[in-house]
Amino acid sequence: MKKVAITLFLLVSFSTFAQKYYTKTGNTKFKASVEAFEPVEATNNSTTAIINVTSGEIASLLFIKAFNFRVALMQEHFNENYMDSGTFPKATFKGLISDFDLSKISSTEEKLLLKGILTVRGVEKEIETLATFSKKEDKLLMVTSFGVKPEDFNIKIPKIVSNKIAGTINISLVYEFIEKK
Amino acid sequence: MSLSKKNKLIITFLLVFSVIGFAIYTYAMQPPTAIENKKIDFSGSSDELLLKIIDHTEEWQDKIVVVSGEVTNIDENGVMLSSKIYCQLKQVSDLQKINPSNNISLKGRIIGYDDLLEELKLDQCIIQ
Repeated sequence: MKKVAITLFLLVSFSTFAQKYYTKTGNTKFKASVEAFEPVEATNNSTTAIINVTSGEIASLLFIKAFNFRVALMQEHFNENYMDSGTFPKATFKGLISDFDLSKISSTEEKLLLKGILTVRGVEKEIETLATFSKKEDKLLMVTSFGVKPEDFNIKIPKIVSNKIAGTINISLVYEFIEKK
Repeated sequence: MSLSKKNKLIITFLLVFSVIGFAIYTYAMQPPTAIENKKIDFSGSSDELLLKIIDHTEEWQDKIVVVSGEVTNIDENGVMLSSKIYCQLKQVSDLQKINPSNNISLKGRIIGYDDLLEELKLDQCIIQ
């Protein structure tokens, strides 16, 4: 009798699966440009993100070295001097989308609150922003942006270049999720 | 009208400095090296690569590898090799040249081990 009970319990727990949507090639862009100086911006097209559409939980991860700059020297300085990507190769985000209901998302955009913790260089920061969701065929699209300051993550900008890098860095995400089968 | 010796000297210096200045600017502003021209750090099968870098994948970040394996999945931006290595293509148009279940060889850059999806991630991949 005990064996039957245990087997039934296991069957039930495995059958309550969570539906997930994911992307491996999410577009994350940051912009720290100051007008009249060279643009300080880069794009990372290899962001991984997973949304549990049942609970609204979202987790994402990107590799700092995968940020592509137009100028090689800028990319090198970014990685070696500012981000120390050898020691901190990843940036991660773990959060929750409020009131996420996949059935209510259609081709018309829906703005939902996204809250979570962004970890960069080993430092955690709480992020709260509005994210726009829409469905395009069988793909789930998420577009959002928020600002962070270099100080938030202990990134020290030397005085010599401090006037060339914006005080607030704008991070924008465009992620196209597909269903995990 | 002919230039005085002093003026000729000034003009020569200005020309030389502009050339040097232009050269320095071009060097400083150059884009990152293309994957085609980057030196290869490893060449082998997907199993061989995973065996080699497991337990210390951080050291292999940014390394250039030529990896061969069976195409187990194709998506809009890249292919999955042997179900364990995701290769994001440099040119999405290359997807047309790849057929599922075929064995292919790709040159790409290791960007890291994705522990959310549990796969090794490569980008800038080009077909060898």
